[in-house]
Amino acid sequence: MRRSNVFGMIPLLLLLAPGEASAHAMLDHAEPRVGNKVAAPPHEVTLWFTQKLEPAFSTVTVTDPAGKQVDTGKVRVSGNQMSVSLRPGGSGTYHVTWRVLSVDSHTTDGNFTFQVGQ
Amino acid sequence: MSIRHARAGLSGLAIALVPLSPGVAHEIVGNRFFPATLGIDDPGVNDELALPTVDSFKTGDVPPVRQRDISGEFSKRITEDFAVSFGSTYTFLGPTDPTAAGANGFQNLDTTFKYRVYKNAEHEFVMSVGLSVDWGGTGAKSVGADPFNTYTPNFYFGKGLGDLPDTLSWVRPVAITGQVGYAIPGSNSTTTFGIDPGSGLATVDTEFHPRVLNWGATIQYSMPYLKTAVVDLGLPDFVNRMIPLVEANLQTPVANTLTSGTMTTGTINPGVIWVGNTFQVGIEALIPINRQSGTNVGVIAQLHLFLDDIDPHGIGKPIFGNAVQPASPFARN
Repeated sequence: MRRSNVFGMIPLLLLLAPGEASAHAMLDHAEPRVGNKVAAPPHEVTLWFTQKLEPAFSTVTVTDPAGKQVDTGKVRVSGNQMSVSLRPGGSGTYHVTWRVLSVDSHTTDGNFTFQVGQ
Repeated sequence: MSIRHARAGLSGLAIALVPLSPGVAHEIVGNRFFPATLGIDDPGVNDELALPTVDSFKTGDVPPVRQRDISGEFSKRITEDFAVSFGSTYTFLGPTDPTAAGANGFQNLDTTFKYRVYKNAEHEFVMSVGLSVDWGGTGAKSVGADPFNTYTPNFYFGKGLGDLPDTLSWVRPVAITGQVGYAIPGSNSTTTFGIDPGSGLATVDTEFHPRVLNWGATIQYSMPYLKTAVVDLGLPDFVNRMIPLVEANLQTPVANTLTSGTMTTGTINPGVIWVGNTFQVGIEALIPINRQSGTNVGVIAQLHLFLDDIDPHGIGKPIFGNAVQPASPFARN
């Protein structure tokens, strides 16, 4: 490819670079971090996505090692962030299941785990 | 676009069977993002544009020919599960013998109709069927474009390993995709009449056009999947967007093989795809599996745009129906 063609593509790539573009809302990261271990049961789980979310159609559920739902059910959505408070639970593996609708109308879902205990 | 044969030949040279077309389509199934792969088409149905795909390699001809291609493909969803794609390739042929002339021109136009048959988010499985048509006579004979149509029914699948047990969690980011097609030429043979320059007698040369099994697969390790569904290792974002993969892209003549033989040709393509929010870029080596498939390691690269993410309410939505499922947004498959 000629150099001029390569330079000609730079504005296109900048336009498409990750940012505020409309796109599927994919999980970017979470707290507690995906697959990681925390010493004590967290008071809440927070997920950050790659796009802004529609609050009315975005949800997250958390179950404790016994399979019992420990989230309060009151999901808070602000921009690209979604949080839910947790009731106290024990040690072991917690499962987080999420489903969100991004502002551009794409639905995505997923799940992950984190561990509680020493 | 399906796996396709580019019959790259300068006048008088043997025909080289090499993979040429870029794959188009990406797919999201539950936790799993299947990227658009460069060698074979993957199981997704979506609105997207692969432009450009560039490759360079030496063919298996004797003497070999340096082939460079630049191609593009546009895929448009008609409904949520059905899409039509249009592709075109421009080929540059440069002989390694300096006394021979080169050639360049378009390959035949290609159209693929693709329907997603099944999708299972829990098991990260997706399956599609399609029909590719290579429109004969729309390309240049000097670069090997056939004067007849070729019809290729295709089967595509993708399977993520995210449903493996916790003891195998590090394997969960692995996914496998595959494609099998059966290329049926619209003409069984081509007969050429000529005069033998030595004897002056008339000659008849018949070339049979084989029916070819096009088959290929990929194995991928998704760093985005590792970070968001298995374990967040705190790696740099640049690394977390990579999907290293190996593709196999193979062709086996299986019928009407009197003049072609039945030897399998193709390439093994190790490489990496980097995934952004609205595009991906990929680069792979093209390693020929035998002498007939090529004479050196080539390279293929692609810029791929996710039109459904760039313009979700315009060109990126199906013509009929919405990309959304508003009736029951929390219903699971």
